[in-house]
Amino acid sequence: MLEYDIVIVGGGGAGLYAALWAAENTILKVAVMTKVYPTRSHTGAAEGGINAVLTHSVGDSPEAHAYDTVKGSDFLADQDAVDIMCKMGAAVIYDIAHRGVPFSRRPDGRIAQRPFGGASFPRTCYAADKTGFYILQTLYEQCLKNNVTFLNEWFLLSIIHNGERVEGLTAWDIRNGGVHLIKTKAVILATGGHGRVYWNRTSNALGNTGDGTAAALRAGLPLKDMEFIQFHPTGLAKTGILVTEGARGEGGFLRNKDGERFMKRYAPEKMELAPRDIVARAIQTEIDEGRGCGPEGDYVYLDLTHLGEEKINERLPQTREHAILYEGVDPVKEPIPVAPTAHYSMGGIDTDKMGRTKIKGLYAAGECACISVHGANRLGGNSLLDILVFGRLTALEAVKYADEAPETTPSLAKQKDDERRILELMENDGKESLAELRRELGNVMIKHFGVFREESTMKQGIEKLYEIRERAKHVKVHDTSKRFNTDLISVLEFLNLVDLSLPIAIAAIERKESRGAHARKDYPNRDDKNFLKHSIVTLKEDGDYQLSWKPVTITKFPPEERKY
Amino acid sequence: METVTLKVFRFDPEKDKIPYYRDYEVPVEGTLLNALLYIKENLDPTISFRAFCRSEVCGSCSVRVNGKTKLACKTPMKELVKTWKGKPLRIDPLNHMKVIRDLVVDIDKPIEKMKTLIPWLVPDPRVVPSDPRHESIIYPEEMELYKDQIHCMLCFSCYSACEAVEDNERYRGPFAFSKAYRFQVDRRDIETAKEKRIRYSISGGLWSCVQCQKCIHVCPKGVKPAEDIQNLRGQAVKKGFTDKPGAKKLKHYVDWIYATGQINRLYLPEEVYGNKEARKKLTEEYERMGIEVWEVPKPTKGLMKFRDIYLEILSREDKALELDFSHVRKIDKMVSDIFKADICTIVDRAHQNNRKSKGLIGKLKGLLGGSDD
Repeated sequence: MLEYDIVIVGGGGAGLYAALWAAENTILKVAVMTKVYPTRSHTGAAEGGINAVLTHSVGDSPEAHAYDTVKGSDFLADQDAVDIMCKMGAAVIYDIAHRGVPFSRRPDGRIAQRPFGGASFPRTCYAADKTGFYILQTLYEQCLKNNVTFLNEWFLLSIIHNGERVEGLTAWDIRNGGVHLIKTKAVILATGGHGRVYWNRTSNALGNTGDGTAAALRAGLPLKDMEFIQFHPTGLAKTGILVTEGARGEGGFLRNKDGERFMKRYAPEKMELAPRDIVARAIQTEIDEGRGCGPEGDYVYLDLTHLGEEKINERLPQTREHAILYEGVDPVKEPIPVAPTAHYSMGGIDTDKMGRTKIKGLYAAGECACISVHGANRLGGNSLLDILVFGRLTALEAVKYADEAPETTPSLAKQKDDERRILELMENDGKESLAELRRELGNVMIKHFGVFREESTMKQGIEKLYEIRERAKHVKVHDTSKRFNTDLISVLEFLNLVDLSLPIAIAAIERKESRGAHARKDYPNRDDKNFLKHSIVTLKEDGDYQLSWKPVTITKFPPEERKY
Repeated sequence: METVTLKVFRFDPEKDKIPYYRDYEVPVEGTLLNALLYIKENLDPTISFRAFCRSEVCGSCSVRVNGKTKLACKTPMKELVKTWKGKPLRIDPLNHMKVIRDLVVDIDKPIEKMKTLIPWLVPDPRVVPSDPRHESIIYPEEMELYKDQIHCMLCFSCYSACEAVEDNERYRGPFAFSKAYRFQVDRRDIETAKEKRIRYSISGGLWSCVQCQKCIHVCPKGVKPAEDIQNLRGQAVKKGFTDKPGAKKLKHYVDWIYATGQINRLYLPEEVYGNKEARKKLTEEYERMGIEVWEVPKPTKGLMKFRDIYLEILSREDKALELDFSHVRKIDKMVSDIFKADICTIVDRAHQNNRKSKGLIGKLKGLLGGSDD
């Protein structure tokens, strides 16, 4: 049995920053467990930047940042948590800059900031167009410097607790195989989002399967605001891979099958540069109303041809490369097929403003957590800030807790359970194919719980999801080797997605209003009287889900209409 | 639909005595990663490979295609089929690392090797404020110095392609030197750390690189490790780490070329490896073979002008300090002793006697973009 004081699950920005702050502030035994190698985590794909009010941000203030964040969240964010995040902005930026993150600089040597959607001041710090990549690499370097213990390529199976405090984990050692029991006093879950619920219609990495969130759900922890999934308006039609907002920023047009620049009907002034959610809904409306392009009519065109080869090469080299590589279309000659793509999970493990869950010693940070600072809709540039602030805070909380917590004695039962579960996966009848059922799950989610939602289609969707949950029992792991068994990992990831799909669906159907990323055709308006509250979904003993509600913390900013 | 055969390396040490190849028919569509995923989804779920971001930022999916290192998510199938004319494509795991299974290799060792080169910022308190509320000022031009190195995503393509890794177990690997060099040119990094990095680079095989440039060609992110290695070598010499044969060879080249316009093969073994016998033996051997040997090359016409131009090139490349003038003076003295006149007189004499040597200056002028007189 492995023994630690603190185990951090996930090696992305939140996990590594937590590890760093834990390593520098304690002599406790800390380990980072990750199913990949840390530098491969999806933080590395974040391009745009990280919001923070710095000492030289003229006119701006943490309070203005907080207001923008709360307004962006459509007033569903908890304002005490937002306050903490925005006040810590400068501290985390300077800290990671001092550690080597190559932030882009102004001519006078200070960190440069640029304007971003939904922000009232230019407060997004950036490092070229690879901000997340540089942050991730730098944090990894700093962890190496501090001799952080890594359990690379280990897969989280179960969280063990006694109803009051956390006692340990079980995990699968991917390289050598085998279920391990890990004894630990504290656990920080930093496992990222679950965009892969939408399988092929997401910008997320292959592994963003909400493993920590699903394990928490199975361990009886409540999930919060799961219905809120942010859709990015322009994902490549075949793969969901992002086409940056910059493509529209540089003058790209959106066209339907008639060649019409349809944005004039949705946002006549801002046209293609309207906020993300508005553009995403406009594109989806075109597709839904039969004006989509292609044989299936399931995408629209992002037309850059009028920009000319030179400008495209200079300003949008990555967009061109990706369109050619992943879509087989050269944007210099042809328009790019795009459709909205699931991008970010606002919902996740229910925590308080310090990332604490209802189980002592169990914390969550980053996209897997719902703290909640993003509410119903996240602002661009706030997710990198979120992972750093709450990665660090949960680390300090965990250190404080683990310092004083008594030894734990996790029972062997969970390990036995998980061993049996894996054996069963290898021995079942295999009537269902993983690839097919996984695609089906994605299709159901995008069709019934996509950009637009309404009662009748969601009802059908929920039925289908229950059906998929049953059929998933017949998905077999064909690979019986213990060594680097990626078939097993794919099946475990898929089962996590199945577990998380229903909480999204159940919360979505019960939230009878439109707020932020949750757009209902049958309830087009926000309803503060009945729904200014967090949805909470838990898994009951009998395997069904239970929905309840929890109040939103409002401190400074009373709800008002979200208008830009 | 157009298809192509992938011959994929398969090996599960738990089950297989020896590795083997299995053929899969895949569509010529999208990227090589799409093809591998296609196999896993439709043909054979037991195949193992690493993949994550699918859009060239995470560095998980490097493999070899007919021996060439490729990032699978960045490699269009159409291009592969075109390059190899539709013939089967052999897919192998990366080289120089132990195979864990199929296309998955053990990357812990190169990471451990990298770690020995201090690939992180060690802040100089005079530049980086210890108070986290204060910003450290960095000018955009400073960041130009390491703008390429910071793109390294640890995909280990260069490590797989590197010839020095092949020959020298201790060799840290191209990427590791690039990661180290990135901090060598960062003003915020403390001098003591920079010196350690040089020392550890030297013991990590800094002089083993043969400059084959493969690392530069295979890097999917435009990092140029071979160049960084050259620059680290320059730093090593400048910091006085001149006791390694590589450093001595560099010194020999720089000094002898400056002094005489060419290297001295007779002195090379002695000056680089301390082999005192070599000069005598080589002289005897050359004479036996009827090859004319000079103890020092005869100074040619235009040598003094050549020295000026050469010095200019060295200073442009920031390597002028590597020139050891006391050594050059010794060479000059040697030349004077042998030719019984001081160096300038010999050169003047050469000028009168030999008009052919103009070529050397002409070439250098061309290199500098200046005009020949």
